[in-house]
Amino acid sequence: MNNVMPIITIRDLRKRYGDRFVLNGIDLDVYPGQIIGYIGPNGAGKSTTVKIMLGLVGDFTGEVRIMGQSPDGEDVEYKRKIGYVPEIAEIYDTLTAREYLTFIGELYGLSTDDAESKAQGLMNRFGMGRVFDHRIASFSKGMRQKVLIISSLLHNPDILFLDEPLSGLDANSVMVVKEVLALLAASGKTIFYSSHMMDVVEKISNRIILLDDGRVVADGSFAELQEKSQEGSLEQIFNQLTGFNEHKQIAEQFVAIVRGEAHD
Amino acid sequence: MTEPIALRVLDRFRGLFSRFGVDYPVMRRILQVKLTMDARRVPTIVGKSKQRSDDQNAEDHNQFAKSLWIYALFGVFCSAFMWLGDNYFFKMSLTFGVLMFIVMTSLISDFSSVLLDIRDRNILATKPVNHRTLTMAKTMHVCIYLIMLTGAIAVVPLITGLIRHGILFFLIFAVELIFMDLLVVALTALVYLTVLKFFDGEKLKDIINYVQIGLTIVMTIGYQLLIRMFNLIDFHVTFQPKWYQLYIIPAWFAAPFESLLHRNGEPILTVFSLFGIAVPLLAFIIYIRLMPSMERHLQKLADPGGRPVRGKGRLLQGLSRIFCSGSQERGFFRLAWSLMGNERDFKLKVYPILGFSIIFPFLFLFTSGFDDGLKGLQGSPKYLFIYFSGAMISTIIMMLQYSNKYKASWIYKTLPISDYEEVHRGALIAAIVRLILPLFLVQSVIFSFIFGSGIILDLVTAGLSLLLYTVICYAFLHRNLPFSQPFDAIQNEGLRVLPLILLLGGFGVLHFVMTFINYGVYAYTMVLILLNFLVWHPNRKIFKRLTRRVEN
Repeated sequence: MNNVMPIITIRDLRKRYGDRFVLNGIDLDVYPGQIIGYIGPNGAGKSTTVKIMLGLVGDFTGEVRIMGQSPDGEDVEYKRKIGYVPEIAEIYDTLTAREYLTFIGELYGLSTDDAESKAQGLMNRFGMGRVFDHRIASFSKGMRQKVLIISSLLHNPDILFLDEPLSGLDANSVMVVKEVLALLAASGKTIFYSSHMMDVVEKISNRIILLDDGRVVADGSFAELQEKSQEGSLEQIFNQLTGFNEHKQIAEQFVAIVRGEAHD
Repeated sequence: MTEPIALRVLDRFRGLFSRFGVDYPVMRRILQVKLTMDARRVPTIVGKSKQRSDDQNAEDHNQFAKSLWIYALFGVFCSAFMWLGDNYFFKMSLTFGVLMFIVMTSLISDFSSVLLDIRDRNILATKPVNHRTLTMAKTMHVCIYLIMLTGAIAVVPLITGLIRHGILFFLIFAVELIFMDLLVVALTALVYLTVLKFFDGEKLKDIINYVQIGLTIVMTIGYQLLIRMFNLIDFHVTFQPKWYQLYIIPAWFAAPFESLLHRNGEPILTVFSLFGIAVPLLAFIIYIRLMPSMERHLQKLADPGGRPVRGKGRLLQGLSRIFCSGSQERGFFRLAWSLMGNERDFKLKVYPILGFSIIFPFLFLFTSGFDDGLKGLQGSPKYLFIYFSGAMISTIIMMLQYSNKYKASWIYKTLPISDYEEVHRGALIAAIVRLILPLFLVQSVIFSFIFGSGIILDLVTAGLSLLLYTVICYAFLHRNLPFSQPFDAIQNEGLRVLPLILLLGGFGVLHFVMTFINYGVYAYTMVLILLNFLVWHPNRKIFKRLTRRVEN
């Protein structure tokens, strides 16, 4: 792996909103073919990192290179190689799935016909061929999620940023998507998988990066993390590394307040 | 997907766009999608069965296009200027003044949200599309509507001009209109850009709101200046252009008519004409140059605020205790209060309207003329112009139904609300206390300075009338629970507001009549107090009927 060039390099990345730092110096090298489980407590800075890499958030300090290019500059060509499933997904839902996906494909530089036939094919595989010409507004959450996943893959990207990509999907679709991710990684794609479902992250990723308070607190394969922390599951490792061991007490207090037996 | 004519027109300028670094095919595609979506803005009530794209041709027509006839009506009034003598400089200044006023105010209040839209950043900005193309697509989106709007207003004046003054006049007019639109868009965008550059987060959103109010007021006052510029009583006076009028932008657009058609070689006119061409172009070029940074700064709007605001809770608790009865009513009062204060789209739509409300009474006060200065106003019944401050109440009340997060209104259905009366009352009281009352108080203070303390009773009477009027507006306009509809669903509500404006006039006239009767105002005030008491008393459940309507 050492003779392969990293596809993403991040050096001392810092970002602040007002006087509050959300990223406190992140260093990262990502290589092709990795599925990275990108985890951390709420507000740890996961989404901010991803948004910086996509050029959605600017005004940061430190260095970010994606395939050698900085997301800060005028040149946006590198985005052609990136697919993105955001956590909170705005979508033009007055369009039909056909219209939306064709449009997105074209923005990525595909021809109309290519985009449309690819979209049709992928929709069919997800069992949504019949609703291809329906408006997205009428879709259920899972169906929307499928549209989003398809829209992130139409242009055969080299890097995928996925934020809770399985949310809303039924068990069968989850199996399909997981398998798709494994196959994509095997063919040399890099996948950034951000999620709070530890069991899924544990299974699909071959490298786990744990973020807490804007810093990388753990980086390695699941086996390595297990070894280091002497814990069994990723969930437990997560608890340990983020210094969290009072879930029982908190739950008890919580229920007590719900039942009106205690106050704050 | 439709292929609007506007795009085919744009195609002709393809080369120009490319020269500015815009990826034309991509911009065109984005515009096509946006226009298609605009055309599909159907009320949310339309069932899913209709959402198939097969019948999209039946549905895909723009609601905006349908509302244009109102602007055309404005144009009919404007065309009257065409008959004002032969002094082109005079009448075209007037015409352009009115046109600019309408175009600019509608840009600020209706299209700011498009210019400042960041909702689709996740969709568009993550794609390999450069900043310049994205912003240009946004600008063109606004321009297309603005040109449609300008076209609608100008169509009758253009034809009138063609008939009265011939083809050359018509051509100059048409070209100048385009320059006017360019200037309006570029100026507004540049102001926003400046604000975006220097501030961030929440503060920025507030400042944009203030800028909107400010612009609205400046436009209104500028329009007044324009009218003062000419002696309106004598239309045929030979008007002499003066250098100080260079500050009056509509005069730039009027000058070419005089220079070209009357072969008036006066240097002032030539300079004005050049300004009318050069400044819009320059402004637009500067805007294009700065566009990429606009797109970058827009992200600030989505940034979380620096510090959470605390401590307002107590005050709000206190207010809700003073003005509301019942805990649910208080709750909805606080909800409405916070939503009105925090939701950007709501503020973008309502604040400019508030600007109008502030300026309206004074506008009429000053246009009605006061030959004897401020002193002459004392003792005159012109303090009744304060009723004009209510002209926007109906619109504000109407806006209470809408929200960006209208979907959150599911809580109304799942909460054990025994009586929707409290929901409506809470929201209405919040709107009155937060928006309408402060405005009226400020105006009352200014009015009592102008007219003397003798009018205080009349101000109380006017306040009570407006309070009653507000309730009537609410009952008449609200077909939905507060904040439960998307802004998209606003359609042609202007027509529903019209009878209410007449009613407001009725209130004013009634008050005026009462001033002629001995103790008339006293009696009238007592009646108003009684009516307000009846309407507002919690036990009377005056919102009950309305509530039932909504629940169905």
